[in-house]
Amino acid sequence: MIEALWNNLDYAASVVLFLIGLYAVIAKNNLVKKFMGLNIMETAVFAFIVALGVVEGGDAPIHGPDAHPPFTNPLPQALILTGIVVAVSTTALALSLIIRIHRQCGTIEADELREME
Amino acid sequence: MAYWPHWLVVVVVAPLVGAVLAPVVGRGRPKVVALWALAAMGVTSLAALNLIVRVAEDGPFSYDMGGWEPPVGIELRFDEFGASVGIICLLGMLALLFSYRYAEHTLPTERVPYYYSLMLLNLTGLIGFVVTGDLFNLFVFMEILSLSGYALVAVSGERIAEMAAFKYLVMGAVSSLLVLFSIGVLYSVTGSLNMADVAARLGDWGARSPAMLALAGLSLGFMVKAAIFPVHIWLPDAHAIAPSPVSAILSGLVVKVGVLGMLRVYQIFYAAETLDLTGLNTLLVWLGAISIVMGAFFAIFQEDVKMMLAYSTISNVGYIMMGLGLASSYGLIGATVHVFNHALIKATLFLSAGAMIYRTGYRTLHDLRGVGKAMPITTIALSIGAISIVGIPPTAGFLCKWYIALGAFQADQPFFGVALVFGALFIFVYYIRMVNAFYFQPATHPEIAEVSEAPLSMLVPVIILATLCLVMGILGRIPLSFIEPAVTRMLAPLGG
Repeated sequence: MIEALWNNLDYAASVVLFLIGLYAVIAKNNLVKKFMGLNIMETAVFAFIVALGVVEGGDAPIHGPDAHPPFTNPLPQALILTGIVVAVSTTALALSLIIRIHRQCGTIEADELREME
Repeated sequence: MAYWPHWLVVVVVAPLVGAVLAPVVGRGRPKVVALWALAAMGVTSLAALNLIVRVAEDGPFSYDMGGWEPPVGIELRFDEFGASVGIICLLGMLALLFSYRYAEHTLPTERVPYYYSLMLLNLTGLIGFVVTGDLFNLFVFMEILSLSGYALVAVSGERIAEMAAFKYLVMGAVSSLLVLFSIGVLYSVTGSLNMADVAARLGDWGARSPAMLALAGLSLGFMVKAAIFPVHIWLPDAHAIAPSPVSAILSGLVVKVGVLGMLRVYQIFYAAETLDLTGLNTLLVWLGAISIVMGAFFAIFQEDVKMMLAYSTISNVGYIMMGLGLASSYGLIGATVHVFNHALIKATLFLSAGAMIYRTGYRTLHDLRGVGKAMPITTIALSIGAISIVGIPPTAGFLCKWYIALGAFQADQPFFGVALVFGALFIFVYYIRMVNAFYFQPATHPEIAEVSEAPLSMLVPVIILATLCLVMGILGRIPLSFIEPAVTRMLAPLGG
């Protein structure tokens, strides 16, 4: 068990990060903190997928006279580039929503907002 | 290659181009941008019609983006389930037409082009989600439609709109991440992102535990999107607060993303034959049954018309999930057809309720009493929708629920057939309450009798949808027999 965890330390770390983020989303009261939790979860998933493509001693997969195999798998990195774009737009949208909530209600604490409803 | 597979690209790209250019075209000209959006959807609908005719004649086909063959390239795939593009285009057109007056009335002029842009983006995401054959592409389209959906909920500017949108965003984003994580796991096991290829390789390698992890993540993620009990809490506020044409799209189509996503996942895992899906099926059937009863139960106590409709969506997605989980051919056919029919019915209801709110400015049953005399056509349309959703023959709702109930008996689980009928009774109660308030109770506000019928741009979509609710009930055999080959193909590995 410990052995397996140690060998897959990168995966285990991203699972732990994911759970920390989930905890923040559920337990934190401040909307910005909730959202930071979500960002941590995003990072965890991105790290997990990028780690999938890593090859021991692998080189950047760029063609040319100096290219020597083994190469790392470029596909997960390309995927995560798209994933980061999605995450950035989610963040922008969420922050603008939080600004408008603050303007309208004067607070961004979830419990105070619930009382106002 | 014949020219017509290119239509498959057009259905995704046309609304996308329309969305990107809408703010440019519509700068300061809200009327022009509405027509522009309608034109973009018109092109899309033509392409979709062409594709549906093709799939009915020749069966499923696919298109390799950029000439790269799958599994290396990205594949667009069109099968019988893909025919939901038709209903997406239809509802999209009608909701845009409805918005023509509604957006002008509710939004500041400078925001109107962005509203249409978001609507078109949302429809792009929906269409792309249905036709793509690639797992990562599926995620990207899901994010396009989710993000535009969050923004559309906040558009109305009502007091708690931003809160509702934020709640929707947080739950939606967590579910999207679960889906992305599971896609990563599937990629790590199979080294492929093409769905058909993933299914084949999963079958070969039989990696059980990662496959199970991926299945769990995907199911949970899509359940949140479909608003199945107990992860339904984001839905009522978001759907009730959004502008009515948006509610029609969100309730009719966007929650179905969860259902269609589940269908896709099931297609992969049924084909792979590595896992026994009985446990998940039982869970789906139970959660579906609980959703039906809970949704109906909460709806009874609502005063707000749109809130009632939002809770009724939870019930109806419950029906669909139940049909999916029964894994018998009747249940599955009923579930897939209910995806279409519920979209029609719920759009009828939300749009006619929206027309009433537009004219009267009231939104609770108490305030809307007596509206039946002032707006006869709208109220009749709403009543047809209500009868349909309860499932009284000969309307569109009856046939699918009948099939799902048959599916329960076919799968030897008659208890759920009974639960389904029981749920329908609950639903009957609150729709009767609605119709009763509109027709038979004295008006609370006397000025409601002075209100005139909805404008033509709202009346036309409502009438078309209400008519379709009736027509689909009478001609119900057509979609049923259309979807049958796809269901048979999907269930083939089960020997049924």
